[in-house]
Amino acid sequence: MTLILKINGVDKGFADDRTPENLSELLDDLGISQATVVAEIDGLIINRKDFARTPLQPGQAIELVRFVGGG
Amino acid sequence: MDKLKIADKEFDSRLLIGTGKYASNDIMAGAVAAAGAEIVTVALRRVDIDNENDDLLAAIDRTKYLLLPNTSGARDAEEAIRLARLARAASGINWVKLEVTPDPYYLLPDGSETLKAAETLVKDGFVVLPYINADPILAKKLQDVGTATVMPLASPIGSNQGLKTGDSIEIIIEQATVPVVVDAGLGLPSHAAEAMEMGADAVLVNTAIATAGDPVGMAIAFRRATEAGRLAFNSGPAGTGGGAVASSPLTGFLRNE
Repeated sequence: MTLILKINGVDKGFADDRTPENLSELLDDLGISQATVVAEIDGLIINRKDFARTPLQPGQAIELVRFVGGG
Repeated sequence: MDKLKIADKEFDSRLLIGTGKYASNDIMAGAVAAAGAEIVTVALRRVDIDNENDDLLAAIDRTKYLLLPNTSGARDAEEAIRLARLARAASGINWVKLEVTPDPYYLLPDGSETLKAAETLVKDGFVVLPYINADPILAKKLQDVGTATVMPLASPIGSNQGLKTGDSIEIIIEQATVPVVVDAGLGLPSHAAEAMEMGADAVLVNTAIATAGDPVGMAIAFRRATEAGRLAFNSGPAGTGGGAVASSPLTGFLRNE
C-alpha cells in the first residue's frame, strides 16, 4: 500500500519500498533540517524531541512550519 | 539610558527590529546588530517542501537576541492561538507578538479577536505583546487581561507614513501600566524619535530599515533617534508657547535709545 500524507495542504504519496516509518524519517526523506522545523499532525503539535517516535498513518494532515523573516 | 522592562526581562535597547523584507539574511543580521536591538520579530510559515529554504534562525544569534514570533497571517483568534502555540514549540520560549489582521488591504488589527486570543494565551502562560489600533479602551482591556505590553500602530503597517495616531497614542501612554511599544508605520528616524519623545517605551521598526538603500546605515539612524527621543522624554521637554521669547538677553544692545 502506498502511504499518502497531506503535507502542507498537498497530497504526497510514498512507494512501499521507501515509506517513512516516523516523522523524523519523513523530514529526512524531504530533505528538511529537523533543527528548525515544527510539526503539527491532524492539528496536534509534535515537539521536536518526539519526531522519531511519532509513527505516520495514511491520510494524516501534516503541517511543517518554520520561522521566516517577519515584522 | 534607563532600562526597558517587559514581563520579567530587562533590555538596554528600546528599538525592536522586524526581520522581514531584507534582501538577504546577512543584511538583516547586519542591520539588527547595527540597530543595537535585543528583541527581533519573526514570522511562522509553511516549509516549502519542494525547494530549499533559507534558514533564518542560522542568521540570528539566540544568545544575543530574544526571538519574538508573531502570529501574522492569523485572521481570527483561533488562528492566532494556533500560530502562537506552534511558535512556542519552534522557539522554545513563550513570548508572542499577537497580531490578528483579517483585512488584507490595510492589515489593520481586529480588536475583539485580539482581546479574545490574548485572554486565552495569557492563561496558557504566554507573554503576550499585542499589536493593536491606537485604541485607548482596547489597550486598557488588554493590560487588564495580563498582556505584557500594548503595541499601538503609528499608521498602517509598511506604509512609512509616520505617527498618524499620535493623539490616541498619547492617551494610551497616559493610561498604560505596561510598556507601550509603537509599532507599524514608522518610516523615518524622526518618526521614532517623535514617538519616544511622547513617552512611548519602545518602538518596533521593520520596513523602513529593511527596504532602505542602506539598511545598516538606516538601522544606526533609527537607533540614535530612538535613544535621542527617550533621552528627551526623560529630560522633561520645555513647553511650547504662542509668541516669541528671546533666548538672548534683551538688555545691553549696542545702540542708544
